[in-house]
Amino acid sequence: MIEAAYIFILFFAISLVLGLVVGLIHSKPLARALTSFYTLVHIAFTIYCWMHRGETVLDYFTFDTLGLLLQSVLSILSITTVYHGFIYVKNDPPRIYAIYHAALIALIASMTGAYLANGMTTVWIFVEATTLAVAALIYHDRTAIALEATWKYVFVCSIGIALAYIGILFLGFTVRDARLLHLSFSSITEIARMANPLYLKIAFVFVLVGYSTKMGLFPMHTVTVDAHTVAPPPISAFISTTLMNVGFLAIFRIYALFSATPILPFMNHVLLLSGFLSLLISAGYMLKAKHNKRMLAYSSLENMGIVAIALGMGGIGYYAAILHIILHSFAKAGLFYQMGQSYKVMGTYNLDESGNYMNLYPAGATALLLGLLCITAIPPSGMFISELLMFKAMAANGDYLYLAVAALLLCYVLYALLTRVLHIVFSQPRTSSGKLHEKVNPWQTVSQFVLFGLVIFICFSQPAFFRDLINDIIQNLPR
Amino acid sequence: MTSMLIIVFAISLIYLSVTERFRIYAGLVGLQGLLLFGLSFLQLDRITLATVLFVAIETLLFKVIVVPYLLFTVIRKTGVARVHEKALPSFYSLLFVTMGLLLSIVVSFSMNTTPYNLLFFIVSFFAVFTGLFLIISHRKIFSHLVGFLVIENAVLLLSLAIGSEIPMLINLGILLDIFVSVLILGIFVMRLRQQTDDLTILKDD
Repeated sequence: MIEAAYIFILFFAISLVLGLVVGLIHSKPLARALTSFYTLVHIAFTIYCWMHRGETVLDYFTFDTLGLLLQSVLSILSITTVYHGFIYVKNDPPRIYAIYHAALIALIASMTGAYLANGMTTVWIFVEATTLAVAALIYHDRTAIALEATWKYVFVCSIGIALAYIGILFLGFTVRDARLLHLSFSSITEIARMANPLYLKIAFVFVLVGYSTKMGLFPMHTVTVDAHTVAPPPISAFISTTLMNVGFLAIFRIYALFSATPILPFMNHVLLLSGFLSLLISAGYMLKAKHNKRMLAYSSLENMGIVAIALGMGGIGYYAAILHIILHSFAKAGLFYQMGQSYKVMGTYNLDESGNYMNLYPAGATALLLGLLCITAIPPSGMFISELLMFKAMAANGDYLYLAVAALLLCYVLYALLTRVLHIVFSQPRTSSGKLHEKVNPWQTVSQFVLFGLVIFICFSQPAFFRDLINDIIQNLPR
Repeated sequence: MTSMLIIVFAISLIYLSVTERFRIYAGLVGLQGLLLFGLSFLQLDRITLATVLFVAIETLLFKVIVVPYLLFTVIRKTGVARVHEKALPSFYSLLFVTMGLLLSIVVSFSMNTTPYNLLFFIVSFFAVFTGLFLIISHRKIFSHLVGFLVIENAVLLLSLAIGSEIPMLINLGILLDIFVSVLILGIFVMRLRQQTDDLTILKDD
């Protein structure tokens, strides 16, 4: 136990030191070397955490299955994000290059802290830290549009986090003692069972609204849509996957905490409402969006809506929610990396100026089509399984109206994504961007194929240990 | 004494919602900081050097000195003194805020709390409502920032209602929040003013 605490402190000490060194010494080779080293350190730390699964360190952190699973996704995506980041910022001045990588290290460290946090206050502090780190990354291009997106992100996230904090304070009212607020999730579960349901309902609504800024769920979804549009593609990949997972985790923790109380039906209704509204908005706006990355951002909103609906359905829906959030991380990250490459090749993110991608860069176009298959849950995408399970949960509950509405909205999303991506890949651009085409080394697309391969693999075979892990996460939830 | 400070805090919220001068906004945010210092001090069970110092840093230093100073700096540097693009006239603002106060009273009464906590609840909810109202009804970024600071004050007020001894972790969290609001938002308000004051670049068509 003491050894785990030392390793834990060592990891965050390394994160702090490397972040400071990279940020203060404006040297590109050093930043590259240290960021690569940090990625390895993160992987090693994740393996160490798995070896000590179930242990609690320093009271405030715990190596529980859900946290570790999402941390593993972060470790995998750190490799690809760091790699694509090197390509994206290679021509930047040393100072901007250093700031980018220092902020990236800070973001990875703060997300890790949020995954492993063992109390609502600890989660909240690390979520706040992710806002600070990601702000520097969204502002990377230093343009007026980047400034606007960063402002909106910091501002709305700060409000969201303040609202989430009010929810946590209400949790304090339920336990009648503020000193208990920093206690572990398991301790609060016992107290929550005897608490006034009205206080629990208020706490849940505030936490859901607050953390929906991070999860990118209705009603605070706009902020992440804008951030996706502007951030460098590798960072969009992070915001859309691992950072959204942080928001999901915070909401899931409090959901699990209160699931044994009488407010479970209320929580399910709120999640369903939020999920369906997210689906509705994404379906509507995806057809309107003329920016390729913005289109993917609305796709993230749609997928988070699916996760919320699956969670709200309960039963097999819990399994579907966890499976969907993991697979979405791989599929969406791959798509954002690919969109970054398409920008290099076509010189634009504008849909009307995009086109002819298959002729310009066949490997990239193939990856984009494969990504489209994965994200729209068309077999052999693994996301087909998670969406099928969600529909199965609806049928099992007899909620056929929900089933019909969800199917209709998903058809709408499918139409919007298919027509747009197929236009980018096969059609001629409607208008010219007037920019010269750049070549991309096909080796740079390998990571996307690997990520999409993982999503497809899950469609054919879910390893027993993987199924056991998800079942372990949901075992305490009511059936 | 506590009740009086909370009522003055509520009055400052009503004034904030109808005023149109940014200097008054900054002054009222400072006043709220001072009131929160008084409330925090009165809530202390054990008066030790550490607790007094922490309360003083959190409220007196940040909320009374640093935040208003930065707000006045933003006003001076941007040269914008008044709300020009308000979506609602003052009369309607007053009407909405009064409705917000009534709503806060109804919600707080339905929570069956102690009479002591009731006042904290009413004014905290009212502060959240006023903060959100300022953000929604105004177009200027400065007003949005003030709205956010009012929500932050609501959080601190609510945390005071929980118990006399707030854990250090929560205090650190609140300090981190203040740091974000002051440093990051302050910098961005000034930079945004230099480039654009109208947040409409990012849209879907």
